Amino acid sequence: MSTDVMIEASALTKRFGAVRALDKVSFEVRRGEVVGFLGPNGAGKSTTMRILTCFISPTTGSAKVNGHDVFDKPLDVRRAIGYLPQRAPLYTDMTVYEYLRFVAEVRGLDESKFKSRLKKVVEVCGLAQSLGKDIGTLSHGYRQRVGLGQALIHDPQILILDEPTSDLDPNEKAEVLRYIKEIGKDRTILLSTHNLAEVEEACARAIIVSKGRVVADGPLSDIRGKTGRVRYVVTIDEKRGEGGNQAPSVSAIQQAFERLDGVRQVKELPSDERAHRLELIGPQDSDLRAEIFRLAVAKGWTLLELRRDAQSLDAVFRDLTRGDEKLDRGADWKAEGEADDDDDDDDDEVASKQDDDDDDDDDDDEETEDASKDLKAERKV
Amino acid sequence: MSPMLSIAKREFRSYFDSPLAYVVICLSFFALGLMFFTLNGGFWQADRSSVERLFEYAPMGLSLLVVPVVTMRLVAEERRSGTLEMLITLPVRDSDVVLGKYLGALGLVLVLVVATIIYPLGLFKFPWTLGPLDPGPVASGYLGLLLFSAASVSIGLLISSFSESQAVAFFLTFFVLAALWFFDNLAQYLSSGGSGGFLPGLLQYISFQSRLSGFWRGVIYYRDIAFFLSVTILSLLVAFRALERRKWA
Repeated sequence: MSTDVMIEASALTKRFGAVRALDKVSFEVRRGEVVGFLGPNGAGKSTTMRILTCFISPTTGSAKVNGHDVFDKPLDVRRAIGYLPQRAPLYTDMTVYEYLRFVAEVRGLDESKFKSRLKKVVEVCGLAQSLGKDIGTLSHGYRQRVGLGQALIHDPQILILDEPTSDLDPNEKAEVLRYIKEIGKDRTILLSTHNLAEVEEACARAIIVSKGRVVADGPLSDIRGKTGRVRYVVTIDEKRGEGGNQAPSVSAIQQAFERLDGVRQVKELPSDERAHRLELIGPQDSDLRAEIFRLAVAKGWTLLELRRDAQSLDAVFRDLTRGDEKLDRGADWKAEGEADDDDDDDDDEVASKQDDDDDDDDDDDEETEDASKDLKAERKV
Repeated sequence: MSPMLSIAKREFRSYFDSPLAYVVICLSFFALGLMFFTLNGGFWQADRSSVERLFEYAPMGLSLLVVPVVTMRLVAEERRSGTLEMLITLPVRDSDVVLGKYLGALGLVLVLVVATIIYPLGLFKFPWTLGPLDPGPVASGYLGLLLFSAASVSIGLLISSFSESQAVAFFLTFFVLAALWFFDNLAQYLSSGGSGGFLPGLLQYISFQSRLSGFWRGVIYYRDIAFFLSVTILSLLVAFRALERRKWA
């Protein structure tokens, strides 16, 4: 093949009425890459995938899959890909074997090719026990496997998987990820999810979308460094230290740390021990541990814990997509995305997204720009 | 096998994977038997060696029960459950999907139509021989039934491809097909008072019943054949458009 770029999206824009689902989304996926497509619910992941599989058409922009344009050659595009839509919708009244056979037939596989591929697919997806069962009786995990199986039956070079691990229990998730890693050794895979741990496990590269825009695209290590911060967790005993003259109060500790050179933010973390737990945010590529230790010694505090993390992908994700959250919750809402136990309220987002999008377009633009300015500002600091 | 035929085969077989096909076949045969032997005095009272009544009542059963039930799920159900996305992202043209589904549903309806052949055979050949049966009107009656089935299934498919729910598709199809059938009676009622007029003429023109009545008597008009074929082709084209609409909406 002449080119190494298997999937190429350029300036894809999709409007649903007044709602802009995608806004100039561009990216490339090369041969042999396993790419994680990340974003909160409603960010445009599925829409992008549906465009790439020629299920819907972009309002403007173009995309090429395996060198074929999605407008002009939809059949060639679909022949080249295996696609697993969200939630693996399958015909529940067919058995697994019948279904795979149907897909193979529509894809024009001949009998002997189907037999050999079926063997392989059954092996990779672990379907040997369930071939004769009705799909309607299978658990969600097994349906997902059948969905993967049908995407693989014609041995495609490109796989597009929309949330292949949603609704699975942890064991099934691990299994599916194992398949993906195994399959991904010699194929191009674009995989969408909102679970970051999965991306870290299965992918080398991630594309993060938010509000229909690509906000980050690159190797995981680059993305992790994107917001340019290092996080420290410090725990100090509540009781008076040996050298100190009085028991340290939280506010005293907080103030002392805030004066420390390079510390940008200090926040108290919940703690069940009889100790104060604080989180400090420092600049990228710095190491403040020595300073923190010396400060504690000078003040006579008993240091119980001192830990330095490069920022987790989770936190980066929240930082990059926080614009959504701010818009959804109104202007006054302050994002405090740093705490570890801060869950993503995805459900609210979907509901309130609609309200947002009723605004006229110019308005929308401004808001988004503001949000991205915020982000840039944060990254610069 | 072409993708279209694979889809048609799957569609046809899926009727037999659920109790639906069996229930529909049994009920409609029961209803047809009841109407054939009892309605309007019944077959025995008429005392004629003709199965005209069969062709008169079978389309009613088809439009009021069989076709709405058989076509309601075609696209609506797939759209609701999301399998439409799976199907369309296989390397198939939208026209393959529409025609495949159409042929699958029409196949089941034709199984029923063909099965009614036991009426002329059973009553006039074996085991009973009730009199000399003119084969001409029987043949033309079946041609009419075939054309009627083709047109009404295409209307059902069209309605199913516009709606999200099976129930809505069922009732709409039921209503449209019933209207198209009984327009003839309505036209007769309207024009019974005075002379024809525009509306009764129009109703009669588009009524499936008046279009079919020629076939029952053994008269085949090209215009009737053209009417049913046009309805079929038009409905399939619109259904195809409805399916394509997803790309832009």
